[in-house]
Amino acid sequence: MNAFQYMLQNRAEVVELTLEHLWLVGVSTLFAVLVGIPVGIAIAHRPLLNKPVLAAANIIQTIPSLALFGFLLPVPWLGDRAERLAILALTLYALLPVIRNTFTGIRGVDPAVVEAGRGMGLTDRQLLFQVELPLALSVILSGVRVAVVISVGLATIAAAVGAGGLGEFIFRGLAMVNNQLILAGAIPAALLAVLADLSLGWVEKRLRPR
Amino acid sequence: MLGKHMTAAAANECVIEFRDVSYAVPDGPEVLAHLTLQVRRGETLVLLGRSGSGKTTTLKLVNRLLTPSSGEVTVNRAPTRNTDVIRLRRSIGYVIQDVGLFPHYTVERNIGLVPQIEGWQQDRIRARVQELLKLVGLEAAMASRFPHQLSGGQRQRVGVARALAADPAILLMDEPFGALDPLTRDQLQREFLSLQQSLNKTVIFVTHDLREALLLASRIALMEAGRLVAVLAPQEFLESSDPWAAAYVSAFENMPDRAGNRGAS
Amino acid sequence: MTTFRPQHLWLVPVLLLSSCLSSRSDRIVIGSKNFTESLILGEIMAQQIEAHSNLRVERRFYLAGTYICHQGILAGRIDIYPEYTGTALTAILKKKTQGGEAEVYQQVKSEYERRLGLTLGPGFGFNDTFAMEIRGDDARRLHIRTLSEAAAYAPHWRAGFGYEFMERPDGYRGLAAAYGLRFAAAPRIMDLGLLARALQDHQIDIAAGNTTDGLIPALGLLVLQDDRHYFPPYEAVPVIRLETLRGHPEVGEALAALKGKISDAEMQRLNYAVDGEHRDARQVARDFLHSKGLVP
Repeated sequence: MNAFQYMLQNRAEVVELTLEHLWLVGVSTLFAVLVGIPVGIAIAHRPLLNKPVLAAANIIQTIPSLALFGFLLPVPWLGDRAERLAILALTLYALLPVIRNTFTGIRGVDPAVVEAGRGMGLTDRQLLFQVELPLALSVILSGVRVAVVISVGLATIAAAVGAGGLGEFIFRGLAMVNNQLILAGAIPAALLAVLADLSLGWVEKRLRPR
Repeated sequence: MLGKHMTAAAANECVIEFRDVSYAVPDGPEVLAHLTLQVRRGETLVLLGRSGSGKTTTLKLVNRLLTPSSGEVTVNRAPTRNTDVIRLRRSIGYVIQDVGLFPHYTVERNIGLVPQIEGWQQDRIRARVQELLKLVGLEAAMASRFPHQLSGGQRQRVGVARALAADPAILLMDEPFGALDPLTRDQLQREFLSLQQSLNKTVIFVTHDLREALLLASRIALMEAGRLVAVLAPQEFLESSDPWAAAYVSAFENMPDRAGNRGAS
Repeated sequence: MTTFRPQHLWLVPVLLLSSCLSSRSDRIVIGSKNFTESLILGEIMAQQIEAHSNLRVERRFYLAGTYICHQGILAGRIDIYPEYTGTALTAILKKKTQGGEAEVYQQVKSEYERRLGLTLGPGFGFNDTFAMEIRGDDARRLHIRTLSEAAAYAPHWRAGFGYEFMERPDGYRGLAAAYGLRFAAAPRIMDLGLLARALQDHQIDIAAGNTTDGLIPALGLLVLQDDRHYFPPYEAVPVIRLETLRGHPEVGEALAALKGKISDAEMQRLNYAVDGEHRDARQVARDFLHSKGLVP
């Protein structure tokens, strides 16, 4: 029986773990967006902040993921539930691409457009929501896309600390030296990443300003 | 709002005033020094000077894109410092060289933006847009186009229409025709002249091109190195004995005739 | 949906997914840790429930350790898994052991029910505690049967332990303190599966294995008696989600029938059947249940 037959035979399990995986990726990406976009906007408008914030996000990225999961284990409340610490870790890793792309996107808006807008009497808020964000949206989305693809991959490691997801197939397969099981985890995870990349890329293209 | 008929008193009324205004870049050099100047209602005051003379800075002090380091700027006799900056800017039309049209909005939405945020009704906005398109010499069908589909000249016409949308009494224009080819520039200058004659806005127009200044100005304010050197009517400017003015005039006289000029300004 | 557009492709995976999802309520998920004994217990429980109810049983075996299983059952990703009372008490509840087997069982059960929404089923009938093993020859030659007696020879011995034993609070550190063990060199850390071999080959002289290890009888190893009662009881029990039990009382009944059915020696045999004789765990579990008259 090859890996695909195995997956077909155990499709309920595959679906269940895929949903767990999507949950981890979805929630953490959502948090990263809720935090990262405002932070990106803030540092785009305040040049003094941009170096320290981007540096901090960069440092987080360099921490090996398994190590970060490990650090968080003994933390009270977080360590009590593997999903919490997995989601926190995944959120942290997704922050850099979101913040950086929001920053770049907003900074990349034609300064003449911003000047005209300000000169016309748009408030900062109107400028942000009616001009800067719509024009930066495609770049910001590109950052979200990178974050999602990273998260799909990292979420497989989350199974090592008990958060479930497709990584569990991989780890169990490794323990049992069972290739079918490993592939049953690896293939859907890879497909998810590709799917996310393609679909978000498509949306990005639609949103690109002319 | 203000038509062609003005009382003599109103014609001399000071709409914008600079009282000993200086501006220095934060932690930087002084870009404007001790400017004292009055702009009268309905006039086209041209700020003329080289790069770095402080003319754009002066312009931006009017709608508070910059705030003076010292001195006071008043608009309609109210110091800009005390006026709500948003209200101030919405009552002043602003046209810049790069136009700065919002690329994700149609021409109609671009022009109608200030009326829209001021809460005008949709039909009123639409009607106003059509009126303005006609005014700046664009077809009605332009309304649904996007900026990237327009030529440079068309874009700047939209820019002017946008600035006029809420019918401000004051217009600030920063080298608006500088990025256009000479033929288009020529056309727009003439159209601006006729527009001014019918609308009678108070205009501050920045340029470094003497011919443009001579054509459009009711008065020319010559600036050099952050200082106001002279304020003269165009004819007086040509005949002036002021060294800077004379230098300007001779520089421009030495250039070949405009028709053969390949856009060196 | 009048025209089919690329964006409508999204519906395809959604429809596929929803068709695959059966209602969670008629499914029981059983987990196990990633070693043979846990696997066998998991398989025994799975087949027992399959035979005595209409529920479909899903297996999520080889989960990499206590923490993973615990997280899984807390989150409801698994409903049942085999655990040991001592492990639950020290590693999960983070308490010190006091009292004997029955006290520890009660303590864990009531804490689980009170705080975690879990409960314990009745014990399978054996203890899998740490076995400090030495070669049978050495035991006979030196006339030692208990850990206290062995402590005297420790300075001449090399020890071999697995990761978990080294790191756990109820592992090596506590043991060394309780018996005053001092080895010549730091204990070698190795994979559990290699310990018995290393002991046989005289690479180490004492190993920390498990009392139910199938190789003990096979290789003639001696398990030193824990005369100071350092190691807490590690009674093998099923951990069950209270919600699962309430929703499916037949699960409780099926597991209750397993009470006391596996002795220490029997577990050793079952372990050896899989590890030593390389038989399929499923078959081994089935034969066992059959021999006890629990399945036809």
